Amino acid sequence: MSTSTTFEESTTEVTDRILSQVTQPEISIRVDNVTVSFKTPKGIYTAVKDIDLTVNKGEIVALIGHSGCGKSTLMGTISGMVKPSAGQVYANDKKVEAPGPDRGIVFQNYSLLPWLTVYKNIEVAVQSALKDLSSAEWNKLVEANLRMVNLWEHKDKLPGQLSGGMKQRVAIARAFAINPKILLLDEPFGALDALTKSAMHVELLKLWNLDNREKTIVMVTHDIEEAIFLADKVVVMNNGPAATIREIVEVPLKRPRNKKDIVHDPKYMEIHDRLLGLLIDKFSIDDER
Amino acid sequence: MKQLLSAKTTSSVLYFLAGIFIMGGIWALIAKLTKGEIPDPSSTWVVFKEVIKQPFQNDSDQKGIGTKLLSSLGRVAIGFGLGSLFAVPIGLVMGSSKIAMRILNPMVQILKPVSPLAWFPLGLAIFQDSPKASVFMIFICCLWPTLINAAFGASNVPQDHKNVSKAFGFSTWKYLSKILVPFSLPHIITGLRLSIGIAWMVIVAGEMLSGGTGLGNFVWEEGFNGGNTAKILVAIIIIGLVGSLLDRCFTWLQQKFSYAL
Repeated sequence: MSTSTTFEESTTEVTDRILSQVTQPEISIRVDNVTVSFKTPKGIYTAVKDIDLTVNKGEIVALIGHSGCGKSTLMGTISGMVKPSAGQVYANDKKVEAPGPDRGIVFQNYSLLPWLTVYKNIEVAVQSALKDLSSAEWNKLVEANLRMVNLWEHKDKLPGQLSGGMKQRVAIARAFAINPKILLLDEPFGALDALTKSAMHVELLKLWNLDNREKTIVMVTHDIEEAIFLADKVVVMNNGPAATIREIVEVPLKRPRNKKDIVHDPKYMEIHDRLLGLLIDKFSIDDER
Repeated sequence: MKQLLSAKTTSSVLYFLAGIFIMGGIWALIAKLTKGEIPDPSSTWVVFKEVIKQPFQNDSDQKGIGTKLLSSLGRVAIGFGLGSLFAVPIGLVMGSSKIAMRILNPMVQILKPVSPLAWFPLGLAIFQDSPKASVFMIFICCLWPTLINAAFGASNVPQDHKNVSKAFGFSTWKYLSKILVPFSLPHIITGLRLSIGIAWMVIVAGEMLSGGTGLGNFVWEEGFNGGNTAKILVAIIIIGLVGSLLDRCFTWLQQKFSYAL
């Protein structure tokens, strides 16, 4: 009798563990009680304070907040560009100490090297991040990623000869080319006009889909529509200094999302209003004198 | 378009000729006022033709102006080349490292304002040979502008580019060859352009001191000591033309290596 109970117990334990592995998603990024302070001539400036954030594998998370609220700083701690003054960040189960090829970064202002052609810009990144590959494999990666963003015909141009949208596509292709598990986008579409921006959103989701939605994407933005269209979770930050997370708003909209249809979805409008309410205190000018 | 271009060329040629004409007029006036002490343009032209008759004559007692020019250019090339070879890497190190900057900058600031001619006797003492001493002088005077400009370039590499290097894990060599040097290159070329300008000015003075074959020697020995003022004027014209040609070369290089950011 007693043996059978232990047997039963152990089977439930095993099934539990298997079940939990299936249902509990893999954690991709864990920000653990992070504070970032800088020394300035005027004293110590704390950009973000006591941040806790968990991002699952394959999730798209948008960090949103007003300018100077420390969202880029928080992102910097994940990329390894910014060292936290307190707390730790884990990415892909490893403590983040420095930037690494498991985290691809798309910078705010594209950051292409102006003296290198589109092709060379990606090649040099691939060569540096994936040192063990052969040059044939490097070339294949560059070509595949440039074709993916439809820029193969422009491979011999210098960044100065490209439009903003094209430059951003090169920057995205460069980040995808090193095949990182985590993609970090720092206000990636901020400098683009509304139409190009819209097209780039779809393009980004297409690339993410092509990769079986396995890449975790964290993006900094101050565009509510962009955040809702792209993200699974929107992290709203308080105003700095010493910014904290104000609220994390889930975006349970079905994928694939359609730019045109989504705006009529009542759930979309609800999330939109919620975010607007969190970010903006005043909705109209006061009429009273 | 083609017509417009040729109209532009024609007008610039006309302006150039106008400039020459005014200059020649002032020159002729001065010649008249000095009562021929300074020869007028036409008699200088006669001497000019005579001087360039056998440019590459290279006998032991008689050397053509071309031979002298080439020998001056050769010294400048060696001094400038060696100087740049030192100045560019040292400048880049200074610009990249705050420590190197703090160690080297005071020395540069002290040595930079020293007249290049002051280095000539030192070169003479070291090499016991006056042509080598003038090369040494050129070497020294070519160091500073290149060094300072290379350092300026290297210290201004944008954070964006550095971030790319960090994010994708560039090796030191990749950082140097794909970011630091390409970014600093326009600044380095500006430095080189300043250096060659100074070198060309200094070589004439150096050769006046050192003797031997060269344009400076031509000015001094054949012009002044030979009592032929026209030859001095001819030399001035040639030195000016060659100098502006050198400057043009570096301006062209500058344009070639400036990137649209």
